Amino acid sequence: MNRDEAQERVREVQRIMERTTLYTLLPGTPAVVGGLLALAGCVVTLLMIRSLDFQDMLGLSENGQVAFCGMWVLVGIVAVTQEILWARRAAKKQGISPTARPARFATLSLSPSLIVAVVLSLKFLHQQQPRYIVPAWIMCYGTGLYAAGLFSVRLPRVLGLAFIVTGAVGLLWFAEYGVVLAALSFGVLHLAFGAAILARTRRETVT
Amino acid sequence: MSIQPDKIDAVIHERVRLAIVSALSVAPELSFNELRTMLSLSDGNLSAHARTLEDAGYLDIRKSFAGRRPRTTMRLTRKGRAAFRNYLDTLRKIVEHGGET
Repeated sequence: MNRDEAQERVREVQRIMERTTLYTLLPGTPAVVGGLLALAGCVVTLLMIRSLDFQDMLGLSENGQVAFCGMWVLVGIVAVTQEILWARRAAKKQGISPTARPARFATLSLSPSLIVAVVLSLKFLHQQQPRYIVPAWIMCYGTGLYAAGLFSVRLPRVLGLAFIVTGAVGLLWFAEYGVVLAALSFGVLHLAFGAAILARTRRETVT
Repeated sequence: MSIQPDKIDAVIHERVRLAIVSALSVAPELSFNELRTMLSLSDGNLSAHARTLEDAGYLDIRKSFAGRRPRTTMRLTRKGRAAFRNYLDTLRKIVEHGGET
């Protein structure tokens, strides 16, 4: 074996170790919890604006609009925090550092698109076009997931693509149904993803 | 510096077996299905290579039942971990010193 072959082997080992680390940290339960939180947010949205269109949040009083935005920020913070806590717990259980390189890769992959989503949201709010915030977030989140999934197994990439498609279709044709889009993507897709992971961990049949 | 051919552990050196051992080196235990999915292997391929690793004493394969479902889990033995460490050391030496086997 020469130096090049040895280097290739080392890289191969590193890739598999990183993949395994991310795989073992794939969050099943937190995805389900995140999905339920998103659905709860959609219900509260419906109660607050009595419409499927996020544009109608402009009909709320100034305080109402702040409360509306605050509610969604809170949903996001709680969803992300519980995911981090679950991932840390899973990492500890598996004897893996929660700040291991693959976890950092995943965070770094997600961050840019989430920053883009925040900037777009501010712009849409400033232009009195909150209708487009939901599809923008769906697509940005999907892009981040897809990028993060490049360091993991296929499932997160599939979820990322599903988000991108849902967001794109929503933006182009169904932007006035923001509540439905949010429920379908952040709610149902997360629930399906979480259920798929939970099923995978339980379905360990021998051949 | 030259690395002797017998320094390379032939059991681990095979690509699929190296993948199995690498994956198990960072997870205390993985199920048959998890390994199969993660490494994109067929059932037969994974079974055959896992058996070779088990025969070498590198892998501990446990069969149990989760309810009525059979469940197979795999973990590296102490000997397996040591063999993997040695294999990586050998690779590092080749990379650092440009040795050939």
